[in-house]
Amino acid sequence: MLIALAQISPVLGEVDKNLRLHIKFIDKALQKGANVIVFPELSLTGYRLRDLTAEAALVPETSAPFGELVRLSRRISIVAGFVEATASGRFYNAAAFLSGGRILHIHRKVFLPTFGMFEEARFFAPGRDFRTFDSPLGRTGLMICRDFLQLSSGSLLQAGGAETIIVLSAAPGRGGTEGQGHAFATSRMWELMGETLSFFTSAFVVYCNRSGFEDGAAFAGGSFVYTPLGRLLAKAAYAEKDFLFAEIDRREILRARRLWSWTRDDKPEVALRVLQRVFHRHED
Amino acid sequence: MKIDCAFVERVLCAFVREELGKAGFRRGVVGLSGGLDSSVSAALAAEALGPKNVLGLILPYGRSYAADTEDARDLARRLKIRFRVLDIAPMVDAYFRAVPSKIRTLKGNKMARERMSVLYDFSAREKALIIGTSNKTELLIGYGTVHGDMACALNPLGDLYKTQVRQLAAHLRLPERILKKKPTAGLWPGQTDEDEIGLSYDELDRILYRLVDLRLSKAEVVSSGFARAKVERILVMIKKSQFKRCMPPIAKISSRTIGHDFLYPYDWGR
Repeated sequence: MLIALAQISPVLGEVDKNLRLHIKFIDKALQKGANVIVFPELSLTGYRLRDLTAEAALVPETSAPFGELVRLSRRISIVAGFVEATASGRFYNAAAFLSGGRILHIHRKVFLPTFGMFEEARFFAPGRDFRTFDSPLGRTGLMICRDFLQLSSGSLLQAGGAETIIVLSAAPGRGGTEGQGHAFATSRMWELMGETLSFFTSAFVVYCNRSGFEDGAAFAGGSFVYTPLGRLLAKAAYAEKDFLFAEIDRREILRARRLWSWTRDDKPEVALRVLQRVFHRHED
Repeated sequence: MKIDCAFVERVLCAFVREELGKAGFRRGVVGLSGGLDSSVSAALAAEALGPKNVLGLILPYGRSYAADTEDARDLARRLKIRFRVLDIAPMVDAYFRAVPSKIRTLKGNKMARERMSVLYDFSAREKALIIGTSNKTELLIGYGTVHGDMACALNPLGDLYKTQVRQLAAHLRLPERILKKKPTAGLWPGQTDEDEIGLSYDELDRILYRLVDLRLSKAEVVSSGFARAKVERILVMIKKSQFKRCMPPIAKISSRTIGHDFLYPYDWGR
């Protein structure tokens, strides 16, 4: 399976322009023979939407740009980010896995960063689920940006049997001081989690971040793929546009699971029992 | 406080190029004083946009700062950017003939706003955007003229402390004279920033970095080895200058008000 990661810079609030950008990259990915293409968080709309949230929102079943991507997914599996509007008037920061002309799964971002420079919970309703599904990449789970940095998200996808974890991200870079790696300091935390989660779930971790600037904030790039043994398979440039390809060999999942029994030995029923007890004493 | 200069240079050049490009511009204007900040801004702009797309405006007040004017010309020639020298004394003097004053800062502020006025005029003439030169130190303590030297269309230096701008300047191989020069706002002859602020940039930046970037409390900063009086004075400067860093408040009457709940991003549609 050849997977393509499009480290693009969408136009803020312009779905049609961004759809054309997606199609351009889909064409390029097809030329290279890719089976799957992954775009960043909110790839169809741009990230810092604020009051543009409602204006850029799509209804998966009826919106034309979404339908266009669903049609294109007959030729290549597509993972893209968008604002999902519901009939009840809510907006979700969402990601869709499209394949074979169908919507295989839509994930709604659960952890909406709302502190410091982030204000997502002001504009989005939170998702409430981490669900795995079958895709050409095996049992698959999606996360959006900050979801990835909560340990529980990874555990839940592991409990769901995830073999491939795909993370769509729009992570701005912070902290350029004392850096030696020609990257923002924050890039390190994503890689730390990528390495850790891939190794301890024996699953592929595919992280697609974006590039470009919005209102002065630079997106950190540095998209990557880690193998089920925690080995870095491919990494994109930091803080600039890039188009990354990685060959994913699903046999590596079984190889990793022969060597390490993390996933076999996982005990979600213990987690459930402990969480139920802790939940009643949880201070919010 | 040490920065990865090569990486910062790359990010700031991309910022200048992309921010201008998204707004539909190719050209930039920079006010050149012959000092550190404007030289770094101009160097970044030249690298990002190509020297021919950058206009350096050297705007001295008469002959009072002849050496700085010469340094600015020298820099423009080294960077191979276009430049132009315009004396702002006739405009400033005409104003003070009408309403004389002995207060030096009034004249300094007027000079800063006269330069702003010329920069904006050339921004329109040249179909170019003004690339700002205010650094994080002066923005935080409010050491700048509101609607004067602080005015710009985009600012590549606003998140770098003065000492970090100096690191970047050395990395960009700017002339030794500019690197070594005592920083001055040029409000009056012989004035230096450090004398007027009463602190060296080195110490000021280290205190600001602890207060702002590390979010340490006053007590924590003092106990890490800085004089309480200095820390307190800096905190007062930050607080008193908040108005310079914000758009003026709009009195809210309606249910949707600019600045309150009419919340569109700056890069709307870009």
